Amino acid sequence: MKNKLLHEQKGILPIRLQRAFRHGDRPWYFLQFLMGLAVLALLITIGAMLWQQSAAARASFGANFFLPTSNPSWDPVNDHFQAWPFIYGTLITSFVALAVALPLGLGIAIFLAELCPPWLRSPLGTLVELLAAIPSVVYGLWGIFVFLPAVVAPFGKFLGTSLGQLPGLQIFLGGIMSASGSSRLAAALILAIMIVPTIAAVSRDVLLAIPANQREAAYALGATPWETIGQILLPAGSSGILGAVILGLGRALGETMAVTMVIGNSVDSTLTLLRPGYTMSSIIANEFAEAVNQLHSQALIEVALLLFGITLLLNGSARFLIWQVTRRMPTGAN
Amino acid sequence: MLRNRFAIFTALALLAIILSACAPAAASSQNPPSTPAAGTPSGSTSNASTAAPVSVQINGAGATFPLPLYTEWTYAYQYVDPSVAINYQGIGSGGGKKAIIDNTVDFAGSDSLVSNDEYAAGKDLQMYPAVAGAVVVIYNISGLTPNDPALILDRPTLVGIYNATINQWNDPAILALNPGLKDKLPAKPITVVHRSDGSGTTEIFTKALTSFSADWKAGGAASVEWPVDKAGNGVGGKGNPGVAAAVQNTPESLGYVELDYALANKIPYSQMVNKAGKTVAATGDTLLSAMNDFASTFTDKLTNTIVDASGDNSWPIAGYTYYVLHTTSMTDCVKAQKLLEYIKWTLTDTAAAKKAADLGYAVLPDAVRQQVLTKLGEVTCNGSPVLK
Repeated sequence: MKNKLLHEQKGILPIRLQRAFRHGDRPWYFLQFLMGLAVLALLITIGAMLWQQSAAARASFGANFFLPTSNPSWDPVNDHFQAWPFIYGTLITSFVALAVALPLGLGIAIFLAELCPPWLRSPLGTLVELLAAIPSVVYGLWGIFVFLPAVVAPFGKFLGTSLGQLPGLQIFLGGIMSASGSSRLAAALILAIMIVPTIAAVSRDVLLAIPANQREAAYALGATPWETIGQILLPAGSSGILGAVILGLGRALGETMAVTMVIGNSVDSTLTLLRPGYTMSSIIANEFAEAVNQLHSQALIEVALLLFGITLLLNGSARFLIWQVTRRMPTGAN
Repeated sequence: MLRNRFAIFTALALLAIILSACAPAAASSQNPPSTPAAGTPSGSTSNASTAAPVSVQINGAGATFPLPLYTEWTYAYQYVDPSVAINYQGIGSGGGKKAIIDNTVDFAGSDSLVSNDEYAAGKDLQMYPAVAGAVVVIYNISGLTPNDPALILDRPTLVGIYNATINQWNDPAILALNPGLKDKLPAKPITVVHRSDGSGTTEIFTKALTSFSADWKAGGAASVEWPVDKAGNGVGGKGNPGVAAAVQNTPESLGYVELDYALANKIPYSQMVNKAGKTVAATGDTLLSAMNDFASTFTDKLTNTIVDASGDNSWPIAGYTYYVLHTTSMTDCVKAQKLLEYIKWTLTDTAAAKKAADLGYAVLPDAVRQQVLTKLGEVTCNGSPVLK
């Protein structure tokens, strides 16, 4: 009733504006628009801040800061900083973690979505999601006191004496396993455990979202469950599964606490998984609070900048990969 | 119209949320520290604060090395002067110094010295020793039992171990110092554990190594480049617990932690042969002796290193932790007075001294305390002295 009369009211605002604001749509739209922009602004601000705050370090060390070197030095006393051991540590632990977690997580997802008896599906699924909710410091503590002495130390020793002897693998798996178990291998395995639930839960949801008629069609054509999963479901869900991998990789790259507790925090020049190493997030967390001289804190900020860049780059290339995959798929499920 | 009202309501609700997000920060800063220390009746906190409402809130931040003690002290001080609430955050020495320069805290705690640049930026900063702490070498040798005598190391041997030039437990240098353990030191490599996080503990330890032998080239700082890492037998642990866990989990290893941490967790720690050639254990007495050895060498900024003291009974790996204050630019004179009263209390009160001793820190000897109190008396607020 009243709405109809609005045209005749002696409003202070012009009619057009009154209309635009009548239902709150326009303000609401602007509010949402601002929130969307905030994400972008935040990203740019962080990047700009890191860039600006690391100016002196970038000027002093140039490209030597991040280029691979066989004799790296991180010496706060003499102001000489090279980040290569941390970059290598972050990349190797994340990718080994992914290589271990992907088959495991995908296996769990396939089992939960396709093969699991219905009574087991919901409790098992909940358990997987619970694993993802465990704080990383708990993983770290458990790692130090249980996982490292019981699993990683003997497993590393075994790797060193078996696969580590092969000429091609010697560089990554050779050498003597550190006695405490603190090593890049320990960090990679802890990370793998931490990202399995993420990969499993997301991939399961992706598989469950594939329309049932695709399965039915495959079975109707006489496909076995194995063929249905391998040739129909996995290709159809591949973009979603890649998304799960990105989520896992993101967590692995940025994870700080658990890794710091198990990796051994040693600026080590070798490439082997069996030796203690260091990651980019660990060195920042370890040294930033007491980095009293200016170049030291600037070098740490430059490490942060590199980590920021690597994360963006890997995420971007993964998105590109997804786009490539989905573009080639005619059905376009998901 | 109903929709319209809904939009206004939503906007108001959002505004309320934004405002309420800001409000608690302002309100909570008026409350006393909300983490009561173990062993003190927790109910009395509210009684004390209702009896005499807090009127002055003092904020401090900085070094984590004295954090356990400062937490105890600030808690106990609520009963000494209920009108003051002191809040200390262990954000690291670097962060503490930055905060006092930026005037975002009233006092800072620092293990490392304020640099010339920082003095220039902070205008009127002054350091005051608060307490001293000792660092000890803990070890894990699989053949040893609690009945065996403590491991003894001398200054060059400790440097050798952290330089990786001594890398077997049965090295002649170690055997010669430990005739009682001759058959029990294994022919196995030593895993050497160090702090991975930048810390005042590391600064004390590496400064001691620097003083012990010219062979130690890595310098003395909160984080250094460890020769053992390059040699491949070094491991970094995060914080005292990280180092202790690494040592306890690794057979044939050795690391360094604060004395109070080793005491509280009953971890065996080594004795040292000091500069005078005497074998000493880390205790309150040997720490006091080290402070007395250096009592006359304070700089104008009241800084001093007390590593490698020359006395017969002096523990060689020790250091001060400091308060950092503005001396002339404080403008809130009531707050300044309450802050200095608190600092004076921590330096002179017997209950405060007992808390420090219980936690493994050593309070200042008289000769040092007098110098600190004199300097504190020179602090002014708006031109007039703060302490009468």
